[in-house]
Amino acid sequence: MKKISIYILLVAITGAAGCDKKLDLKNPQTISVEDAFSTSDKVKNVLVANYASMGSGSLFGGDALWMSELMASDGELNWVGTYPEPRQIWSKSILLNNVYVRDIYSQAYRVIFNANNIIANAGIVVAVDKAKVIAEAKFQRAMAYFELIKYFGEKPFFAGSATTLKGVPLITTPGPTAPQDPSYNLPRASVDDVYKQIILDFTDAETNLPATNGFYANKPSASLALARVYLQQDKFAEARDAANRCITVATANGFSLESNYEDAFNNDVNSSEDLFAMQVTDQAGTNSCFTFFSTDTYGARDGDIEVTGVHYNKYSPTDSRSNLFFFEYGEWRCGKWRDVYKNVKVMRLAEAYLTRAECNNRMGTAVGATVDADLNRTRSRAGLAPAIVGATLAQIIAERELEHFSFYNLISSSCLSKNLYSVR
Amino acid sequence: MSKLKLLLLLALFSYAQFALAQNKTVTGKVTDLRDGSPLIGASIQVKGSKIGAISGSDGGFSLSVPDNTKALIISAIGFNPFEVTITGSPIQVALKVSETQNLDEVIVTGYGTQVKRDVTSVIARVKGSEVQNMPVADLSQTLQGRAAGVFVEAQNGKIGEGIKIRVRGASSLNGSNEPLYVVDGVPIVGGVYGSATSDINFNDVESFDILKDAAASAIYGSRAANGVVIITTKRGKAGKTKFTLNTQYGQQNPTNKREFLNAQEYIDYYLEAATNSGKYHYNRVGNTRGFANEAAAVTNIVNFVKGRFTRYSGYSDWTKLETNTNWQDQAFNEDAGTGLIELSAQGGNEKNKFYVSGSINKQDGILIANKFKRMSLRFNMDNQLNNWLKMGVNMSLGKTERQRVSDDNAFNTPMQLVALAPITPIRDLAGELYNTPTTTYYNGLLDVEYAQNHANGYRNQGLIFTESKIAKGLTLRNELGLDMVNQSDERFWGSKTDGGAGIGGFAWAQWFRNTRWTTNNFLNYATSFNDVHKLDVTAGMSFENRYDEYSYVEGQNFADETIQTLAGAGTISGGTTTQEKNNLLSYFARANYSYNSKYLLAITARIDADSRFGSNYKYGTFPSVSAGWIVSEENFMKSVNWLSFLKIRGSYGIVGNNTGIGFYSANAQYGSVKYGTSPGGLGISNFGNDDLRWEKVATTDIGLEFGLFKNRISAEFSWYNKKTTDMLLAVPTPSPSGTTSVLGNIGEMENKGIELSLNTINIAGKNLKWTTNINIARNKNRVLKLDGEQKEILSNDSRYANAVIIGQPLGVFYGVKYAGVDPTNGDPIYYNPDNKTTTNVYDDAGKFIIGDPNPDWIGGINNTVSYKGLELSVLFQGVFGNQVQDGGGGFMSASGDWFDNQTRDQLKRWQNPGDITDVPQARLNRWGDFDSPQMSTRYVYDASYVRLKNLTLAYNLPTSVANKLKISYARFYVSGVNLHTFTKYPGWDPEVNTDYRSGNVNQGSDFYAAPQIKSIVVGLTIGL
Repeated sequence: MKKISIYILLVAITGAAGCDKKLDLKNPQTISVEDAFSTSDKVKNVLVANYASMGSGSLFGGDALWMSELMASDGELNWVGTYPEPRQIWSKSILLNNVYVRDIYSQAYRVIFNANNIIANAGIVVAVDKAKVIAEAKFQRAMAYFELIKYFGEKPFFAGSATTLKGVPLITTPGPTAPQDPSYNLPRASVDDVYKQIILDFTDAETNLPATNGFYANKPSASLALARVYLQQDKFAEARDAANRCITVATANGFSLESNYEDAFNNDVNSSEDLFAMQVTDQAGTNSCFTFFSTDTYGARDGDIEVTGVHYNKYSPTDSRSNLFFFEYGEWRCGKWRDVYKNVKVMRLAEAYLTRAECNNRMGTAVGATVDADLNRTRSRAGLAPAIVGATLAQIIAERELEHFSFYNLISSSCLSKNLYSVR
Repeated sequence: MSKLKLLLLLALFSYAQFALAQNKTVTGKVTDLRDGSPLIGASIQVKGSKIGAISGSDGGFSLSVPDNTKALIISAIGFNPFEVTITGSPIQVALKVSETQNLDEVIVTGYGTQVKRDVTSVIARVKGSEVQNMPVADLSQTLQGRAAGVFVEAQNGKIGEGIKIRVRGASSLNGSNEPLYVVDGVPIVGGVYGSATSDINFNDVESFDILKDAAASAIYGSRAANGVVIITTKRGKAGKTKFTLNTQYGQQNPTNKREFLNAQEYIDYYLEAATNSGKYHYNRVGNTRGFANEAAAVTNIVNFVKGRFTRYSGYSDWTKLETNTNWQDQAFNEDAGTGLIELSAQGGNEKNKFYVSGSINKQDGILIANKFKRMSLRFNMDNQLNNWLKMGVNMSLGKTERQRVSDDNAFNTPMQLVALAPITPIRDLAGELYNTPTTTYYNGLLDVEYAQNHANGYRNQGLIFTESKIAKGLTLRNELGLDMVNQSDERFWGSKTDGGAGIGGFAWAQWFRNTRWTTNNFLNYATSFNDVHKLDVTAGMSFENRYDEYSYVEGQNFADETIQTLAGAGTISGGTTTQEKNNLLSYFARANYSYNSKYLLAITARIDADSRFGSNYKYGTFPSVSAGWIVSEENFMKSVNWLSFLKIRGSYGIVGNNTGIGFYSANAQYGSVKYGTSPGGLGISNFGNDDLRWEKVATTDIGLEFGLFKNRISAEFSWYNKKTTDMLLAVPTPSPSGTTSVLGNIGEMENKGIELSLNTINIAGKNLKWTTNINIARNKNRVLKLDGEQKEILSNDSRYANAVIIGQPLGVFYGVKYAGVDPTNGDPIYYNPDNKTTTNVYDDAGKFIIGDPNPDWIGGINNTVSYKGLELSVLFQGVFGNQVQDGGGGFMSASGDWFDNQTRDQLKRWQNPGDITDVPQARLNRWGDFDSPQMSTRYVYDASYVRLKNLTLAYNLPTSVANKLKISYARFYVSGVNLHTFTKYPGWDPEVNTDYRSGNVNQGSDFYAAPQIKSIVVGLTIGL
């Protein structure tokens, strides 16, 4: 009998030896890194999720827009909310521990991290989609680097200074899996090197992206992104040509200005002039511009950002674009982000027309269209008459401001870009 | 690993051959003097020798002794030892129950037992009989004040909800600081709500053994850092089957109520506040609203306030004081009752023994719509199959039904009713409950009538075991245990409640199941040789598998609100399911060695391999060593008669805490991500850390145990230093890595303290007996290191000041010092950063350490007096030197800052220049002219208290009367819990930590937390 118990004991111990294998458990809610890049479909799913990373509230889901607007507003916007961090950004006296600044920086690198992994693992993607997947990932990466260099690159930027100014750490391939690895303590690359990478990525993206691609990155949005980059660098001819390519491809593929300006906003499906927008639904996505610009009437906070008369009065009484502003709690509010669960616009076709107009004006050319024709396109839509003849640069820049309200878009206008990000 | 283990086993087997010379055989029987029942497991020892035997299940024994043996010493746990002379005929010994504190008590040590005298580690024992029938819902509450260094704090007076237990302080910032609970060898875990310990009927508990130092707890390895509470349930004894019927009935009330303004006071106060604010605006803010004169400003705001009064008064006329509602009374259940009915039986014969019990315990909470009911069944059985194999089964089934109330920060939680105005009637003339805008805020009573919050928990716990005697002194024990928790939590909010308004009613149901199976297989070898060496070795392995399943579904748009399950929802608006698994493989060993009963040494080690650990640290080793010297056994001490026992002991060991790591935190993972209308995306959800591992706690303990005057006075003293390293924190990483931080083992913390327990037998007469147990403990916690760069993690909360600061205790209050009221103008003033001058601008004030939620001292004193059949037991429990911050102060003790009804102490407001008070001028913050009150020492209070925790008066029917009634005994008792509290804390109850934010850092905060429950019960126990 005692032999039996010893036998039981031995079984127990050998059973225990088998337990060793049970120490490696997988989370049923997730898959491992290896699995995530194990099939073509999975890599494509990582690509989709990286759009969600771009659309984070900390980046193109809003912060990248309102942060630059608050900084550039100069009396045209007031931050009246209780949060101290946006107030610091608005007053351009930012403390080291400002989480919004930290989060836009880290979120941009999250997008870059994902893009690097997608590009490095694109080998497994089916041949027919491979170039497109890489192009989308490069678009995502360049979009992130462009925000980083604008917000965090050393200033003041002027033509030719870019090689000596410090930009941001440049990483274009997947690093070690452990985030705490010391190799991630990268030095800041020069502003020039960062721009070279951005142009390289956007150019590749422009080449390989399809003209239309659902709500994902497409060829005209890559062209317009390039136009922004060149404009930022005072390369007006390149910017003009990129904007012209954007318009040519876009209009040939069904993109057009909405006939009614208001229809271009507060939509949960991209409008006909949306080249690229971050998707927001009641299930996913964030729109932090809604959070801070809108009011509790529409389900937001209580109207943290007010539009002052300085800005509102710039619109002529007949400008239909002023109708998008709404008056609440005694102040004007921007209505572009009035409603909940609506997409965040990143690139609209209107911008391409105005960029082409500005650059044609600066270069004294009429590539694609005349300056006047491009400028009057948005003006006439807004109900402004008569048409401008012999437009000046000042008129074009003023129109950009009215058309976009969004000061964010002004960063592509070189007159403001140079002092916009003086805050580090 | 397992090969090593085998070698160890073989080594053990080879020791199993010791024999002694034997000459004659003595036989006999040991019984209990009280009822003549056989005493099993009594020790029969040859006087002056180590030769001995243990009595069998019939109390009988047979022992071979040397020819010259004259006498035997018979002893048993809980009985006085007895010396008997060998006469030749069978020895009959009836032992008398011991009156002294017993050094021979057997302590449960985890995978074994040890006699108290030989223990070199620190283990506090609370007997089940001490806490039997205490009218509380959760067994951890019964331990409050009973064991040195064990701090118990209920978050609030909600029944069966969160309870914080700290054994020698908190050792972790991000992990759990609760001890590990082990029931009959199987660790238990909680569910998604409530506490695991409230599922257990503590009347089934034989003993609680609380393993405190590393030497005691290291046998539980990576889960032992916060101590281990070993719960041993009752087992059957051979003999006549004893039935016990136990009934209890009682009432529950809040320990305290606060005083609020009545209708007249409210009206007067707010009219005064309005007048003051009008003047303040005109004179001190600069009349930014452009009133014509001071009187116009005053009229404007007074009219505003009167308008509010009219609104808040509903149908009634406030000018005639038609309504005077005491909203606080509405929060409480006037006739909260408690009842218990329980039947148990135990008995058996030599081969089979059993203990069965069934119990229903119903307790109404003191808050409206807060209820608790526990039904439990237990069956413990032992079977001696043959002379070497024993098997047993423990089974328990339990159902816990709860009607819960919302967390303290919700408008719909009953206690927030106190914010409503006393001029507001509860119902309109049609009998419907008023809501906003008539009530100042949402009327929580609507939840009582139109919402449901039901949570049912089911816990099944079972264990089967075999115990095989393989060789002399060598026993193998195999255990297979299963602990299963099912919880369902169904909630419904009708469309009239704030949770269901606008969406046609809202409901959710969550369902959670936790299954844990455990196997423990270990050998025990006990031997002695050369008369002086005693060795007791335990070694074995254990494997645990835990599986958690969770599902959730929610819906809205209820067509008919009497159908409140999700079957009635028009729209299913959300749902999810998750599963999680965890495996733990362990090897453990312990050796206890004693030389000549004087020098004691114990070594333990456990190796834990946990599936949650990072791949670089799969195995954690947790060793400990402890030693003791029983000085009183030395010859030079024999002459010191007054000193009956003296032991010096010391221990050192390393234990772990695995709770800060999620089951899969160490792994890099991709999870599902939604984007727009895309069918799906895969995004990185966790970066992982291959180095992720247990937090490490190294404890040094030095102690002294002594007994005086034949152990009439016995005491135990310990000093300890408990240092946490590898403490889990978010370690910052450079953003180009893709993330800003990973969970890593980097921080450090320490707890240093002392513990003293003292037991005295004051009177030990034939009829009158009086004993006293005192325990006191001091613990000092300090954070030593955070992520290496940070010096502090500060709170960013206008209501609370909890912070983590290097060099300070965890959760220390760091904030603004209130300097009282400026006598010239009634402004609240605060100390500037220089800590001398003051300012009336809150934002300009300096920040200081302003309080500590961790007590300096905790203690308890229990007196038990018995006279013939009467027994009186009185337990006082105290907590000293801690502070509580009242986060609700800025609303309800705010000199009328807004329309929340105010505590009556606000009547001491400043009114005229020269007034000396600490309550500022009453001002209504209508125009945002000044800061509303925020956290400062104005709302930080000394929360020390002494509580009459438990008083029980019992009467046992004389045996002669009982026999006439054909019962074996009857006991009638009256028992009360939390009967009286001595404290300076001005809030409801100083024992508080508001549930919605409670955590390792967020301690010592009050926010409309319900006072604790005062219970008074009468009970009758009948033995058949």
